[in-house]
Amino acid sequence: MNRLSGYRSVWLVVILPLLTACSPADQPEAGFAGLGAQLEGRSEEGPDFLQPAPGDRVSLPRDLGPHPQHRFEWWYLTANLTTSEGVPLGLQWTQFRQALQPRSPEQAPPPADEWPLQSAWMANAAISYQGEHVFQEKLARGDIGHAGARAEPFQVWLDDWRIASLVAEGEDSDHERWALSVNTRDWHYDLELSPRRDPVKHGKKGFALKSETGQASMYFSYVDLAISGTVTIAGKTHRVAGEGWFDREWSSQFLQAEQEGWDWMALHLDSGDKLMVYRLRKQDGSSFRFGTWIPRRGKPRALRGDQLTFEVAGSRQTELAEVPVEWRVRVPLAEVDIRVEALPGNYWNRGVFPYWESPVRVWGSHQGRGYLELTGYGDTE
Amino acid sequence: MKLLPALLSHYRRHPLQLIALVVIVVLATGLWTGVWELTRQARHSMEQSEQAIASRYQVVRTDAQPVTVADFVGLRRQGLCVTPWLEVRRPAPEGQVIGVDILSMGCFQEQGEMASPPDLNQAPFVDIGEAVRIAGQGHDSRLRLLVASAGAAVPDAYRIRPVPGGLSTGELADSFLLNLDALCVLVLLITALLVRSVYNLGLVQRRSSLALLLRYGVPAGRLRLYLIGELAVLAMLAAVPGVMLGRFLSQAFAAGFGQAMGGLFDVSLYAGGNQWISYLLALLAVFLVVIWCALDALGLAFAKGQTSRPGARFYGMFAVVLILAGVTGTVLSQALWQVFVAVSLVLVGTGLLTPGVLSRLVDWLAVRGGSPLILWSRRELAVMLRRLALPAVALQLAVATVIAIQALVATFESTFLDWLEQRLQGDVYIEVPAGASLRPALDYLAEAPEVTAWHRVQRGVASLGGRRADLLALDPGSELLQAWAFIEAVPEPWSALAGGGVMVNEQLARRENLEPGDVLSFSIANASMRRPIVAVYADYGRPVDEILLPHSALPDIFTPTFSSLSVQIAQNDVPVLRQQLTERWQVKNLTLRDNDQVRQLARGVFEQTFSLTRAISVLTLILAGCALFLMGWVFFTARHWYYQLLQVWGLSRRELRWRLQLQATGLTLLVAIAALPPGIFLTWVLVARINPLAFGWSLPMAVYPLFWLEMLAICGAIGLAIAWLVQGTIKSRAPAPLAATHIEGAER
Repeated sequence: MNRLSGYRSVWLVVILPLLTACSPADQPEAGFAGLGAQLEGRSEEGPDFLQPAPGDRVSLPRDLGPHPQHRFEWWYLTANLTTSEGVPLGLQWTQFRQALQPRSPEQAPPPADEWPLQSAWMANAAISYQGEHVFQEKLARGDIGHAGARAEPFQVWLDDWRIASLVAEGEDSDHERWALSVNTRDWHYDLELSPRRDPVKHGKKGFALKSETGQASMYFSYVDLAISGTVTIAGKTHRVAGEGWFDREWSSQFLQAEQEGWDWMALHLDSGDKLMVYRLRKQDGSSFRFGTWIPRRGKPRALRGDQLTFEVAGSRQTELAEVPVEWRVRVPLAEVDIRVEALPGNYWNRGVFPYWESPVRVWGSHQGRGYLELTGYGDTE
Repeated sequence: MKLLPALLSHYRRHPLQLIALVVIVVLATGLWTGVWELTRQARHSMEQSEQAIASRYQVVRTDAQPVTVADFVGLRRQGLCVTPWLEVRRPAPEGQVIGVDILSMGCFQEQGEMASPPDLNQAPFVDIGEAVRIAGQGHDSRLRLLVASAGAAVPDAYRIRPVPGGLSTGELADSFLLNLDALCVLVLLITALLVRSVYNLGLVQRRSSLALLLRYGVPAGRLRLYLIGELAVLAMLAAVPGVMLGRFLSQAFAAGFGQAMGGLFDVSLYAGGNQWISYLLALLAVFLVVIWCALDALGLAFAKGQTSRPGARFYGMFAVVLILAGVTGTVLSQALWQVFVAVSLVLVGTGLLTPGVLSRLVDWLAVRGGSPLILWSRRELAVMLRRLALPAVALQLAVATVIAIQALVATFESTFLDWLEQRLQGDVYIEVPAGASLRPALDYLAEAPEVTAWHRVQRGVASLGGRRADLLALDPGSELLQAWAFIEAVPEPWSALAGGGVMVNEQLARRENLEPGDVLSFSIANASMRRPIVAVYADYGRPVDEILLPHSALPDIFTPTFSSLSVQIAQNDVPVLRQQLTERWQVKNLTLRDNDQVRQLARGVFEQTFSLTRAISVLTLILAGCALFLMGWVFFTARHWYYQLLQVWGLSRRELRWRLQLQATGLTLLVAIAALPPGIFLTWVLVARINPLAFGWSLPMAVYPLFWLEMLAICGAIGLAIAWLVQGTIKSRAPAPLAATHIEGAER
């Protein structure tokens, strides 16, 4: 799904100190425009970033790996798990790459001992358990091995956090399994993930629009992952099992200036169907809506804005902002009319750019659970 | 009649006084702002650097190979919080840069190890990629992997070690800054004295017109209020350009100073920060001086003329008591603040005593003079010394301060160079890689034609009655050591060392009250030893105790924590040496320092650093000179009636000019000579009292008579300038009758 708007701010925070550290006298303005100008300036000097185009296709396993010609991309997992005691536990892991200059996949990266800075990486992870929400974030420079991604065998890492294929080379990759390991001082988790159905390509074979004027990203998801493993939090280790949703997305286009944030949700319905919807909010109150209906059987169907409604049904006051935590979502063509609500608690991911990421429950025409992500509600934008 | 125009009409008639007051406030504010800002920046940088250095532990490889980006990545991927730190030694003016990777530093904060991390967004820090590029231009660089916690578990192939201080002079920088602070406070006081004296002189000159206004029925309270208001407005108006001047001065100096400090002391100077504090403090200082002056306005404005000072004798006695108490206090004080109080007493006493003593001396000379003209001339000089007491004392203290600053700077410089020589024995310093055998290197050094002399240095730990001391082991026979200067030593100290003695550093000698001849008990690697002390050596900038032994005295089981070689080479063939040793030790990155380059670099940056203190002293002198010049001019102009009278009585114009020159230069030279004792006293206090109390080691005391002559010449030049200006105002025509208001309250 799309995190473009928010992460431009994330990267602003990440990149600005670097740029200013390199040239103390040259202080860009602290704003998106400042970052944009820097990046545009660079792209004018060298080759341009590759833009997603309507004819682009997703190719696997290649596209599980990095896209150095594109400006940014991410690998993103949300999981709705249950402990062996039957208590719900939400979990999230994300890793981002932001390029400062494009590079073709054939071109070798600069030597690591030059400490190049062609790209920067960020990983963050959170656990939501019994109303508590813990979060941590890490940063690294690319091309030296500190952080990176590889398509085959699949691996994405930063420090000792990593997700990696458990299928050895030459083994049958139809039964892909991944191991995800995240360690912090206070909590950690080790999970095994197995996709139960083929990846879903959003939009037109993976080309997913982000605005009426054609901004887009390449976007596909593993919408049904079987997950099991252990989660240690507050000094106690829990055996957990459940289902997860894994997104892969890359692009080179920032959102339009008037788009101020987005609301996104990925839902596992008890019927076995899956639903992903998002809307990009504009300052004038309008929004660009998009989604994918994934029936238990049959082909996924891309949803245009006029094929779904997506309305706030309730808010929660938090220390950073009033957050729309309850939603009414209707997809008439799939006879879906549901309420989606964040579980009780405070789910701000307070990293360099705070955003809301919470497990949700679903009721109405369908029951279920899933994840809700909201950006642009804090005062940081 | 309106009071305000009447009051201000004084300045219309005497614009010089207005200009003098404005100029002095502008200069004073500028000086305060500039000096305060510079010392604040230096202090701030020092704190920042200490924070950066405080938690500096590094991960090193057990195989003695230098760490690389691959080690960094490997350790990070094993979950260890390390961050790269690439030091690139680059000569001034650009100076050292430190390459950091901000992206990887998050875990340091997470682990609470850098609660307030250094500001890495400014010099000398750059992105590590940029630092690599700079190093690629041919500068020495060294990569370290700093680790967040000294107690972190590291893989077997690595160890955690403290980051060595290298050439960091630590306390030498602290000491310098402390002394700079002390001098800045002095500058502030002198400047306040000057502002007040200029204002006071103007006030005395207005006494008659103020009395006139009182007689016209203006209430005294109202008059006082107007005077204070006038003063406040004037001070504020002059303070604004003063602050701007100070800002300009600090910015002009900060660049060079910052670079020097950064290159030399690992102290980085940030031009940023909240400069408003400096401006506010300067304004506060102006405000306080205005209040001081206002007290004069309240008290003096309507007082009767002080033609005689019945308490002069009392003042003299009081001053002598102050000086004696101050000197005693300075000698006996055991705390820094006590020294500062005692020094203040001495300076106040000197200020009170000097004009009286000088004028009495001149009076005494006058009655022993030959002709009436000489008698008059000397009496006139004595009058001047009394009338210009305040600016004269200010000039005296300013000259004393300048003398002290110069001596301090020169002493620091020579001390530092001595220290540098001691540390940089030989032409090349080579770090023996950890775990490497010395044999291959020794074989090479013994045979190499380009090597003329060399010796080995071992460092380790000794125990002094359970207390830890650093141990330095050298070869006493090495010719590279013969230049060492000792604070105290027996004859032939190196032979005595080889013959069973031990040397101790000054810090240890002071702490334990040791001197050559005393026997020191200590243990090394659990072997107890007792050896007589044969020398005490200076070891500036380090707080720790250290003992020095010959290699031969070390027990067999002793393992050095660190080994190095100092090598003297016939021609400058450092690359050959590096290549040979790298091959013999089979290491990739050998730490090898060309001492000559370091020496040159250090000298360069030290010179740059002291240009700041010189600048402060020159500014102080200019300010004091300006004040004396302005007041002297006002004073002489007020008295030129007498000179014209002399002319009418038959003195030739040339002879009159000569008399004037004698008097003006006599005044300034007397003041300059009077500045020598407090100047020497201040120098002594700085090097022999403040430093030992603050840091446990002293600087050698030195005086620089040639510089005194320079000071005398400058003061003489100020006198000549006054005379030159005054003689222009003396006309050949007969003088007009003297107005009563001119002589009221004046001494004739």
